[in-house]
Amino acid sequence: MATSAFIPANTFLHRLDARSKLIALLTILAIAMILDHPVYILGLLGIVLFSWLAARLPLNFLGNIFKYFSGIALLIFCIQLFFYPGEIYLLHLSRPIPLIGFSGYISLEGVLYGLALILRLIVILTIAPLLVMTTPLSELMLALVKFKIPYRFAFILTTAMSLLPSIQNRAELIQQAQLCRGVADFEQGNLILRLRASASLLIPLILGAFRDSQTLEVAISSRAFGAPVQRTYLLETHLRPVDYSLIMASGLLLLFSLWIRWG
Amino acid sequence: MKDERSTTQNTIDQPSRRWDVKGRILGIPISLVVIWAALFVTASAIPALPVPGMGGVITINAIMTAISGVVLGPAAAVANMAGGIISMLLFPFGAFLGPLSFLTVTVGGLVSGLLLANRWKLAGVVELLVVATWFVNPDSWQTLMWIVPLPYTAVTLLVIFFPPLRHWARKQILSLDRVRIWPAMFLYVTVAHSAEFLTTNAMVNWMYDLSWQYWVPTWLYWVSVDTVIIVISTIIGVGVLTGLHRARLPHATEIYR
Amino acid sequence: MANKELIVVQDVCYTYPNGVEALRGVNLVINKGDFCAIVGQNGSGKTTLAKHFNGLLKPTQGNVWVEGYNTTQCRVSEMSRLVGYVFQNPDDMLFCSTVEEEIAFGLRMLRFTKEEINHRVENVLELLKLQGLRTQHPFALSLGDRQRVAVACVLSLAPEIFVFDEPTTGQDHLGALSIMSVIQELHTKGCTIVIITHDMRLVAEYASRVIVMNRGQSIIDAPPAVAFKNYNFLEELSLRPPQVTQLATLLGHDEHAILNTKDFCNWLSSRIKPNVQNQTSEA
Repeated sequence: MATSAFIPANTFLHRLDARSKLIALLTILAIAMILDHPVYILGLLGIVLFSWLAARLPLNFLGNIFKYFSGIALLIFCIQLFFYPGEIYLLHLSRPIPLIGFSGYISLEGVLYGLALILRLIVILTIAPLLVMTTPLSELMLALVKFKIPYRFAFILTTAMSLLPSIQNRAELIQQAQLCRGVADFEQGNLILRLRASASLLIPLILGAFRDSQTLEVAISSRAFGAPVQRTYLLETHLRPVDYSLIMASGLLLLFSLWIRWG
Repeated sequence: MKDERSTTQNTIDQPSRRWDVKGRILGIPISLVVIWAALFVTASAIPALPVPGMGGVITINAIMTAISGVVLGPAAAVANMAGGIISMLLFPFGAFLGPLSFLTVTVGGLVSGLLLANRWKLAGVVELLVVATWFVNPDSWQTLMWIVPLPYTAVTLLVIFFPPLRHWARKQILSLDRVRIWPAMFLYVTVAHSAEFLTTNAMVNWMYDLSWQYWVPTWLYWVSVDTVIIVISTIIGVGVLTGLHRARLPHATEIYR
Repeated sequence: MANKELIVVQDVCYTYPNGVEALRGVNLVINKGDFCAIVGQNGSGKTTLAKHFNGLLKPTQGNVWVEGYNTTQCRVSEMSRLVGYVFQNPDDMLFCSTVEEEIAFGLRMLRFTKEEINHRVENVLELLKLQGLRTQHPFALSLGDRQRVAVACVLSLAPEIFVFDEPTTGQDHLGALSIMSVIQELHTKGCTIVIITHDMRLVAEYASRVIVMNRGQSIIDAPPAVAFKNYNFLEELSLRPPQVTQLATLLGHDEHAILNTKDFCNWLSSRIKPNVQNQTSEA
């Protein structure tokens, strides 16, 4: 199986059942979208960051995420800062410029909403790593199966993951083979050339992989895929009281945020 | 899972021929769906184009999405979704739309795949749903915002709802006509890419409220990026489809021919 | 032929990003006109070494010079005009819709003129006897033909040195023979050949020099007749010289290894000369 981003440790977060974590993730995601005031989302972000620290995940990952997305965060913020039609003026900058929709003022609402959006971005960016880094891939898969996603879909996920290393190897080989016949480097040259080079990678890659599909088909049917029996699992999981309380808390938090927004 | 068991009771003594049927997803062997998902993840790790002002990149999985429907039919949606979810699980750091990024590629594969399967009404419903999601957001009522989805969404709607064009494009793809497959592939790739692009736009607008002050000035850039992706995907799509045909490998056009 | 040094490998070590030490201090020189075979177990570093010859891999320590250029300072697509590298699986290379286009693609990427491209494509098609297939789709061809097309793509760039990575693996006897005859022809035209293989018969038959790799080092570098002499040692590396060589050694032949049946018969007949002479005189 391909290497996941999982970081083994024995913390509270690591011990939680993958199902309850998944539910919490979806809840936080939903709440991040529902709420639009920076203070509330800051609270949400606080929960995420606290969990990050509690799970002893590397902080430089957070730094990298912030660095990588600082451009878009600034952009999102500036758009609200300058163009939000607020009523409480903080700062007078110039006369109104109707052409770009600028009122001449920076408003309190604009600042707040811009901050809310940045915080929302950070929550959305950090929530998936938080789950993936504290849960082994196999448990995540099992959680998906237990959520009654169609077994066939879970099968596709796991099998595709186990195929991944060989396909990645092949992609590398093909890139090398194309370099050897004069196709300019994939990382250099102008955009159009670079994309044209991707044809010389993708076509042999797809066709080569499809050529191997017969072998995979045999492997799949020899493992009696689709046999009509009740499946059992190598890994069994049980929800513990902690998990139930996490799910309960998620539900309450969701209701609470719905009430804040529309209540 | 329940109905699987209930059918078992009746068929348990019969030879297991029907497993073959079960080994398929929307008519496509499950092995191909698996392989496509793995290819998709691999392609997600290969950067292709920078995104202006965002520090992100468009990877060549944009090309994979654009051609997926033609290669796999509606099963492309399942394959792309699996690929998108795996990408999220393996590299959870790069996704701008967070855990929901897989939705965009799913929609892209779904619309063009349904079209290839001649389920144009369903394709139309999905496409209209995406367009509606985009237009319901107040951001899209702002100055000039309508030009953002216009160029390629118009083509997509035309391909779906204008019968002669729809029939013609489908016929050329299925018959692999040497010359006419090019414009037909262009149309199919446009359908897939525009559906993906508009889904992304709609999600970005709902999540981050990017107003016309961002979209309108960068409009020309996005249109050119889309054009480049569509053109390259057309080239690759024709290459892949004729290659699959010539090498006698299984793919969707065989099923719907 | 002048002993011009084409590839100089100096103290090369290579460690893969995942920490595997694939090469540990390799030194060798490949001269113009060599027909060099690299053999060794899986994982001994054969392919890693060969990928240094055209800069696909850059040494982590040491230097590789190809015709005087240091590979660390060159791009692979530039090196492709000096060293042609043919991968084992032709399907990793082919993607165009006709054989002709396929061959022209690399030339076009390197911005040759149109006339030059046509000229070279014609040449290559003729040399590899592919004229009849020029408008065929590469994927519709047999494995042997696809491999010839892959060779053609590399050949069109007119490199002086060719590296073949296991060209006969997965081929039947006839296919192997046809690809080897192409390689042989390139060699007689003055190209320098490096071939990675597991097939000792092929080494005995074609190579002028064999490099045995073991655990990232080249431990033997000699003509096959010398290299195959010590076959007990080779056996330890799970390399088996051709049966005829083994037979000769077992029968007590100990100067240099015997590489083909013809030499074996000559030697054997010289050993049992009296009888043979008797027989011939009787006849």
